[in-house]
Amino acid sequence: MATELQNVDLKTDEMIINMGPQHPATHGVLRLILTLDGEMVRHVEPILGHLHRAQEWQGQNRTWFQYQALIDRVDYLSGMFTSWAMARSCEQLDGITVPRRAEYLRVLVSEMNRITSHLLWLGTYLIDLGAMFGFPFYPFREREKLLDLLEEIAGQRMMFNYIRIGGVQRDPKADWFQRVKKFTDEFPQRIDEYEAIVTENPIFLKRTKGVGILKQSVAKDYGVTGPCIRCSGIPLDLRRTKPYSVFPELKFDVITYDKEGDTWDRYMARILEMRQSNEIIKQCLDMIPEGEIMAKKQMAGMRIKAGEGFAAVESPRGILGCYVTSTGGEKPFRFRWRNPSFCNLSVLSELLVDSPIADIMAIFGSIDVILPDVDR
Amino acid sequence: MSEGNLIKVGSPYVPDELKDTVTLTSLDHAIDALGELLSPVISPVANLARSNSVWPLTFGTSCCAIEMMCVGMSAFDISRFGSEVFRATPRQADMILTAGTITRKMAPALITLYEQMPEPKYVIAMGACTITGGMFNDSYSVVQGVDRIIPVDVYLPGCPPRPEAILDALLKLQQKIRTENYHERKKRTYNQRAVRYVDYDTGKLVDDLVEEARQEADAVLAGGATIALKSEEKQAEASEKKD
Amino acid sequence: MTHDAKPPAQPEAPLEPGQYGQFLKEHGIATNRLADSCGIETIAIQAEHLPSALKLLRNSQEVKLDLLITVSGVDNNETFDSVYHLWSYSHTNELVIKVMIKKTDVPEGKLPMVPSISNFWSAANWHERETYDLVGIRYSGHPYLRRILNPWDWEGHPLRRDYKQPVDGLNDKNPHSFR
Repeated sequence: MATELQNVDLKTDEMIINMGPQHPATHGVLRLILTLDGEMVRHVEPILGHLHRAQEWQGQNRTWFQYQALIDRVDYLSGMFTSWAMARSCEQLDGITVPRRAEYLRVLVSEMNRITSHLLWLGTYLIDLGAMFGFPFYPFREREKLLDLLEEIAGQRMMFNYIRIGGVQRDPKADWFQRVKKFTDEFPQRIDEYEAIVTENPIFLKRTKGVGILKQSVAKDYGVTGPCIRCSGIPLDLRRTKPYSVFPELKFDVITYDKEGDTWDRYMARILEMRQSNEIIKQCLDMIPEGEIMAKKQMAGMRIKAGEGFAAVESPRGILGCYVTSTGGEKPFRFRWRNPSFCNLSVLSELLVDSPIADIMAIFGSIDVILPDVDR
Repeated sequence: MSEGNLIKVGSPYVPDELKDTVTLTSLDHAIDALGELLSPVISPVANLARSNSVWPLTFGTSCCAIEMMCVGMSAFDISRFGSEVFRATPRQADMILTAGTITRKMAPALITLYEQMPEPKYVIAMGACTITGGMFNDSYSVVQGVDRIIPVDVYLPGCPPRPEAILDALLKLQQKIRTENYHERKKRTYNQRAVRYVDYDTGKLVDDLVEEARQEADAVLAGGATIALKSEEKQAEASEKKD
Repeated sequence: MTHDAKPPAQPEAPLEPGQYGQFLKEHGIATNRLADSCGIETIAIQAEHLPSALKLLRNSQEVKLDLLITVSGVDNNETFDSVYHLWSYSHTNELVIKVMIKKTDVPEGKLPMVPSISNFWSAANWHERETYDLVGIRYSGHPYLRRILNPWDWEGHPLRRDYKQPVDGLNDKNPHSFR
């Protein structure tokens, strides 16, 4: 009997496991239907839409002025960028030239927003990897400081509605710049603190090194953008490749790896990006000119000239753009979002195949997906 | 399902789905009766303990979830009020903070989570979206207020509410817990659970569906035996197709 | 829904083909140039030529438009448009391609048909599913054309101009909404 059994291959059944929509590590409400062969993932089907709030439908039914306030909810961790994408596309259509002080303020607040977004990613990613308590306190400490500064000029902690069509909403006071300066001076040491805890941590290295390697050809096929594609060796950063606003005047590095990156590289890229954003903020504080901050009157009956156009900004997650069609009326004719998370998430089914089930959260977290950005 | 969970005369109560495994002895009845008798004395003490260890469920759908995270971090520190233990499973949670918009696709999952929580359970409707639908009030996919699917104890407005507001809502909830009698609540909550259930497949209320089915059955019965036979044949065909 | 809304007018006289229109013409694919969208070349193309045109634009070394930004569906008043925004990973050129299907050509009770490109370009997969879900354009040859954002048994296509949203126990309270 025993000899017979040795010659027989043990046949295992595949098991289908449902993950989500309520799962503590999916940063919201994503549902994954996993087909497992033992520990290994063989097939993944993501089910989206548990947070589909009909943003595009709202865009057709609200006036331009009303819709400006809604779009911060598209990507709540980087509300400045969604506002900016809408403002840029509408300014293109309307032929508005934004005052230079407003452009500098936009760059300033959006880079601050990029840091808050990456900080929150850092905290939650470490929670996903099992550092449940302790570490997340560090990034959230700096995030609160930045949110206090942003709240002072925008009036809200997360839904800023600060960048408007034609400029920015309000001019900060002189001592606000000084406090931002103080923050930028001490922030690099704070990043050193995070790195001291995380970067060389043996558990962290074991969980992330060589896991979830994103091949360049796959990434290009799926239209991946943002830090993920830059870690796969393509230097696509709209701030450099298609410079908008005042980015041509600012000095900063685009973090690009020559190899095909794993999750640890994506972690490192975001850490380095935070340092670069800090440098950009410093330069903006020195270079910001005096002058007007708004070029279009903000009122309920605001209209945009007829036409259609697409404009994008480089959000913390990738290319965030919107395709606007206007008829010259009170409401947009069609408002289409191009969300980086939606496109980056589609590569997940490719990344997860043939990785153990324990790595799902390490890989998924490293893409940095925001669910309302996926579902709208 | 709503009728099944209503409390019947006589306590303690065993839900239908547990009837196979739970056997009540006269001792259980005696303990429960004693508890009810002593509840005016025990309740204040027990409530003080309960109110200071309200464990929330990590349920976050959107923007409010970030503020829920912030309130657990060092700047606001919800652990001062005994609620820092965010539980990932509803079986260990006392309170659900519905942080974020609830859509039609998410509503069944929320109902399941609520049902899975052990009694006594509390709900804080956090943010404008879960109170009335908020800014997305007229979207085709948004549920206009979470109180349409589960009962709510505290409403917390804001879009999103500041972390201090969450602490305030928690304090209000603690006050509510301290001033209630558990035995009274037990009776009320089971009545309260007769909420309107929504069928996931059709988006209609379950009560409406039951009523429709009843009317159809009545019509069939009134139509005579021949039609009844036909419908039986149809059912047989349908079951064959399913197989 | 605003029924009186009109899409932006197109110019009367036919325009000279631009850089990409010329490129496609050399490879035997006829295009029709539309008014530029904010300075970006915009061309209309017949539905049956779409996959071959996109393959050409993506793979040829001189053009190399290999980043599919979005596939969006638009319900214009006379046509259903499927709009493709093409960028490149290596240079800064852009192109907008539209497939316009007249509403009068769509049979009653059927959805407008556009050939799918997701069998050779994975980026289009979810975008096409979303457009099918929200605007109701059927992509023929799509490997898994199911609703992506709404539940699978949803009725109607929400971004169409004649869409009526369901009213039931979940959303019957607000008398001032746009329904």
